[in-house]
Amino acid sequence: MADKDPKGTIRYKYKFAFDDGAEKQFEIALDAETLELIQTNDQPKPEWTKLKFSQCENCPLPESVGYCPIAVNLSKLVDAFQAHDSYEAALVTVETAQRTYLRKTTLQKGLSAIIGIYMSTSNCPVMDNLRPMTRFHLPFANSIETFFRSISSYLTAQFLLMKRGKEPDWELNGLRHIYKAVNRVNEGMSQRLLDASQKDANVNAVVILHSFGDGISYFIDSDLAEIEPMFKVFLKDSVEPAEHDDVRKPPPADPS
Amino acid sequence: MNERILVVDDEESLRLSLKFKLKAAGFDVDVATDGEDAVEKLKTKPADVVLLDINLPRMSGIEALNYIRQTYPKTEAIMLTGFADFSSAIECLKMGARDYLVKPVDTTELVTRVRSLMRSRSSERALEQVQEQYSSVLVNDLIDPLRKIQGMLDQALKLSADGDAKERKKLLTSVRKLTNSMEQKLEQLIELTKEAAKNMAVAQSELNPIALAEQLKAIRGDLE
Repeated sequence: MADKDPKGTIRYKYKFAFDDGAEKQFEIALDAETLELIQTNDQPKPEWTKLKFSQCENCPLPESVGYCPIAVNLSKLVDAFQAHDSYEAALVTVETAQRTYLRKTTLQKGLSAIIGIYMSTSNCPVMDNLRPMTRFHLPFANSIETFFRSISSYLTAQFLLMKRGKEPDWELNGLRHIYKAVNRVNEGMSQRLLDASQKDANVNAVVILHSFGDGISYFIDSDLAEIEPMFKVFLKDSVEPAEHDDVRKPPPADPS
Repeated sequence: MNERILVVDDEESLRLSLKFKLKAAGFDVDVATDGEDAVEKLKTKPADVVLLDINLPRMSGIEALNYIRQTYPKTEAIMLTGFADFSSAIECLKMGARDYLVKPVDTTELVTRVRSLMRSRSSERALEQVQEQYSSVLVNDLIDPLRKIQGMLDQALKLSADGDAKERKKLLTSVRKLTNSMEQKLEQLIELTKEAAKNMAVAQSELNPIALAEQLKAIRGDLE
């Protein structure tokens, strides 16, 4: 894989530079094969990181785990921004092995991108479904870009399932269910961050992630109307899906 | 025509998800990126409800609310609050916002609150219409005839006890006709009240036509 370092690690370096000259930097390291967050042992474990503290209603982890893995991994970041307003302007730089992204944006937008990585790579069983997307992380993405990445990632998984003889879900019903569960986690996490913060930057960063999760169901319901024209080259000889619903489904398996 | 909602939030993903939810619920939805943008959008196309984030760059949600309440009193506002905004949310309610929602906004709760506000608005408009009708009926059909009755009764009282019997009867007959007419108008008011009560979630009126009708019936009984 081109963007991993010689140690087989994918790195995302986030730098937040504020108008008053202050800067904060964070580096995330992922295992290039599993996309699992490479843990450091110096993460603080404040009260709000305990598993039972505002535990997500759909949390499948046993009590013996003790601490929410996402909360623990977020604790340093959350503490760094706990006294910041969501709409503060920040020059956010994201460095990867392949490229550097730079954008003057709101703090909540920059934070939502990095929190999104932590949430999907911390071994939360619900959030694990989004982990493949982190390999194609796109900082400062708007809703449509995020929907497209989500759907592309999910359809890739369906293709791989089909190749293994499994029934693929081309209708994206499973993706709706994934995001429904993901948003229960976003809600639980926002409750934790309410307790961990004095101001709203951290919470609103999770609210942004929640809004992506909310929006994608409606986007699927629209039959991807907003991006459909971009696929005209593939669709020019096809019939309208509303009149011929069967064209959206894969052809039946050859009985021979 | 669908009710029109203006969603005001500086974050694109929030605007889009709220727009999706509200459109799916049947509302006509437009979006604005901050308070100033909201004011410009309202100038060109008024909204029934504004969903207004409190923490906005440039013109804050509170400043925008103040402007909207003064300039577009018929436009209702629901505030969107994040962390540590509760005191601001209360301040907004005092300034005339009708409700507030805490982010992340639950879809069902959002649609329920907006629909509830729409019903409340509809009831209030119905109440305003009823009050206008009350005022019209009271002035033209009740208060004016009542003053005539008072004049006629004053005249009748001035007549001598044994003389002017014919004149007294004439006056009392006129009074009787007027009370009949007033009774009919009060019956109409009662029907109007019943109809309004059906349509209004909260019917508030200082007028009590039922009690007024009882009083007039008593007067008529005394006259007879």
